[in-house]
Amino acid sequence: MMVPERSEGGMTDLLYFEDVKVGDTERFGRYEVTREEIIEYARQFDPQPFHLDEEAGKASPFGGLIASGWHTGAMLIRMLNDHSIPRAATSGALGFDDLKWVKPVRPGDILSVETRVLDKAESRSRPEIGVVKVESRVLNQAGELKMSLVSIILYRRRR
Amino acid sequence: MRYWEDIKVGDTAILGSHTVTEDEILAFARKYDPQPFHLDREAATRSIFGGLIASGWHSCAIMMRLSVDHMKREQLAGVGSPGIDSCRFVKPVRPGDTVTVRTEITESWPSKSKPIGFIRRRADMLNQHGDVVLTVIGVGMFQRKGEPQPQARRADT
Repeated sequence: MMVPERSEGGMTDLLYFEDVKVGDTERFGRYEVTREEIIEYARQFDPQPFHLDEEAGKASPFGGLIASGWHTGAMLIRMLNDHSIPRAATSGALGFDDLKWVKPVRPGDILSVETRVLDKAESRSRPEIGVVKVESRVLNQAGELKMSLVSIILYRRRR
Repeated sequence: MRYWEDIKVGDTAILGSHTVTEDEILAFARKYDPQPFHLDREAATRSIFGGLIASGWHSCAIMMRLSVDHMKREQLAGVGSPGIDSCRFVKPVRPGDTVTVRTEITESWPSKSKPIGFIRRRADMLNQHGDVVLTVIGVGMFQRKGEPQPQARRADT
């Protein structure tokens, strides 16, 4: 596995399946959303008018340029990479459930994340693995909920 | 244009294909998902995946691009999505893989409050060997025939 057994400097142990508690919450992250990045992502992956052009956005049901919902998901995984993932003894994720695009993300939004552990269960087929469900909520600087989802993460178990 | 009424439960489609390059995988990983097995060929070889693999969020983005291209070709009046019921990263996507997306409409219902309709769709992404690599079940919103486009919402509401 690629994740080191201890983080750089050896100050903190990695979090294993046994260390995760249902109900654990965290707040972290700061992602400044720019017009340029919204358009760059949309050109490559989601070229709908309201993701590409301010005027087209104004004429759309969204009333202005908005980020692709999949782009917001990518920004979330970046914030998780910058905070949670390097500290966790994980072996990837199975995917996610219940993704809700609650409100559009717009240029100038500054996003952050709230996570909460919803559930954990030992794997029946893989004794070295546990499955952890973590809800992530993406909020802007005004505290508006923009997106939420429940990740299904594979944590390694302590030997 | 084709509207919500033109989309029927049971409709299937092949949205299109895309060959995933190593450069694309690395560029996405650098920007959004810099885990070693997405970012570093050497490190990936030593990981549980045995080689470089695309971020699951990159696979979802490729699926979205194929979906938008299909929507434009078919002139479907899509107006976004409220969310995804489930997404599963079934198998890794690797450099050189050619992925194809196949869809089936599983449900359809009108909005009670807006001049739009909803559909639920299962989308499977397959690789060149016919293996499913990604499954996304989600909801799409479409304009209804003879109805104006939904009104613009204010930015502050």
